[in-house]
Amino acid sequence: MRGLSLILCAAVVIILASCKASGDYPGLEYAPNMYHSVAYEPLSQITDLDHGTFTNALDNGRGEFYNTNQYNPYKMNLRTPPAHVVRRNAHGWLPYRGTNDTTGLRMANKLVSPFKNDSTPAILAQGKAAYEMYCQHCHGAKAGGDGKVAQGVKIDGVEHGVYPGVANLKGDAYKNITEGHIFHVITYGKGLMGAHGSQVSEEDRWKIARYVKSLQKN
Amino acid sequence: MKYKLADLIKFFTLALLILSYSSSFSQEIPTDAASISAGEALFNGNCKSCHRVDKKLVGPALAGVQDRAPSIKWILEWVKNPAKVIASGDEYANKIYNEYNKSQMTAFTSYTDTQILSILAYVKAYKPEEPAAAPAAGAPAAGGAGISNDYLNVIIAGMILILVLMVVILGLIVSALKRFLNQKDLNEDDAEVVNSPYSVSSITRSSGFIFLVVFVVASIGFKQVIDGLYSIGVQQDYAPKQPIAFSHKLHAGAYEINCKYCHTGVLKGKQANIPSPNICMNCHTQIKQESPEIQKIYSAIGYDPKTASYTGKQKPIEWVRIHNLPDLAYFNHAQHVNVGGIECQTCHGPVQEMEVVRQYSLLTMGWCIDCHRKTDVNNKGNDYYNKLTELHKASKGKMKVEDIGGLECAKCHY
Repeated sequence: MRGLSLILCAAVVIILASCKASGDYPGLEYAPNMYHSVAYEPLSQITDLDHGTFTNALDNGRGEFYNTNQYNPYKMNLRTPPAHVVRRNAHGWLPYRGTNDTTGLRMANKLVSPFKNDSTPAILAQGKAAYEMYCQHCHGAKAGGDGKVAQGVKIDGVEHGVYPGVANLKGDAYKNITEGHIFHVITYGKGLMGAHGSQVSEEDRWKIARYVKSLQKN
Repeated sequence: MKYKLADLIKFFTLALLILSYSSSFSQEIPTDAASISAGEALFNGNCKSCHRVDKKLVGPALAGVQDRAPSIKWILEWVKNPAKVIASGDEYANKIYNEYNKSQMTAFTSYTDTQILSILAYVKAYKPEEPAAAPAAGAPAAGGAGISNDYLNVIIAGMILILVLMVVILGLIVSALKRFLNQKDLNEDDAEVVNSPYSVSSITRSSGFIFLVVFVVASIGFKQVIDGLYSIGVQQDYAPKQPIAFSHKLHAGAYEINCKYCHTGVLKGKQANIPSPNICMNCHTQIKQESPEIQKIYSAIGYDPKTASYTGKQKPIEWVRIHNLPDLAYFNHAQHVNVGGIECQTCHGPVQEMEVVRQYSLLTMGWCIDCHRKTDVNNKGNDYYNKLTELHKASKGKMKVEDIGGLECAKCHY
């Protein structure tokens, strides 16, 4: 009898102590129906129809936590916008319409920044912030083409790849590029550089261009 | 048409210039140290991103180029305007052009012959760096705080093992001596000392010892139970295996890629965003194409690295969500990171050191409230807070988040 109660105590301790999350186990949830959104949330998806039936079932017979949009491809809650949707930003700008080819690039060379001649510290500071976010790891803090990605790194003695062809923006070949050129190249990429139009807003692209020009002068 | 005409004129003047220049200078590769170091500076500044002397990168390895190319004059013309040399139908130029996937070298029109020759001098004089005597692998990092936690654990475990062994050995010696002494004739006093009433079994049966053991076991068990109960519904340390073994330690840590480069939503919206694969492809069209993990990206987006084209067959990558704030609480990333200026690491911990990301913070309400009580409002350069700052001046202390309603229930629960 005494042995049994001891084993029981130990079992309770072990069970309760194992509520903690670690590795692949997310831990025990006390009130799961308050945790999982019934409404569609963009980055969460529970596809199992029966998930949560132990607490409650919805009117449609599905589990409580089923929050998956069955009408979307792959039952995703997030969708890409329909084709030809045009987004305007806070300034009311339309998306850049230059084409991704040599003609587009040549036209872009002559584009004038919407910030005109505004080289106030505020614009440059915003450009610097955006540059550090999107450019610095390849092109380097001073635009010398010496970011960590372009130089390669070593972890625990193992060398990791170098991204080839990162432009030294202070080099002679890039000295005379215009802000419009920089804007176009960020949007569509050039040579081995990928297109960054989806990540960097148009406003930020112009600010980066202004900041790069200021870096080139020093 | 205007562009074309202007371009044509530029083209011809350039061609003329090049012709006149190239014929007026000597075309010997210099060997003096000054030229070589000038060439090195030029090479590092302008050529290095695509060329190395001893290995192929974007363009060919440059070692031996002076013997390989048709002539020095050809090299000079090529560097200044590769497009023209290719267009002229030059056999060697077209061979290279086709060999390197028709990617054209940047034209360095502003270079003088002397500059190009000095680069050639550097290439000719280049000696590969001796592989520096690499520090022995696994050697502890220099400095006092060099011993890592792993080593410490091993050392402690070893010491405990040695101590236990010593206790066992001492026990054996004691019993052996006792047996030896009992074989002899002993007087009463000595016998009492040798056969002490305090034996191991008498100690383990004493009530004091039993109490001590029960107390220690019970308190450890109690702590485990309380910890377990408190962690119900708290997913701290949750570190699930992801469909693609992406290493934040490599990307955010070693390569110093900014968090916001990939998590683009963090300044703009509620969600920080799981990056779409097109961001991966900014680099992985080139880097590590052969890696099985990268192949998973390729198959998800339908990319064929051999032809560098997209097949159109797409399939989402099903990342496992780690941070699940309950549906009953509202949290917005932009509000905290963009307006509040909070570093990602404040809540997510040292992600740049994590091979597999784990939930670093508790994400409980107490944890939120604690931070709202301690954190100063980031009101610098933000006109929105002007009036509040003005009003707050009367009271002592800095304006904390709780002072502007950071503890109101309806701020997060609605």
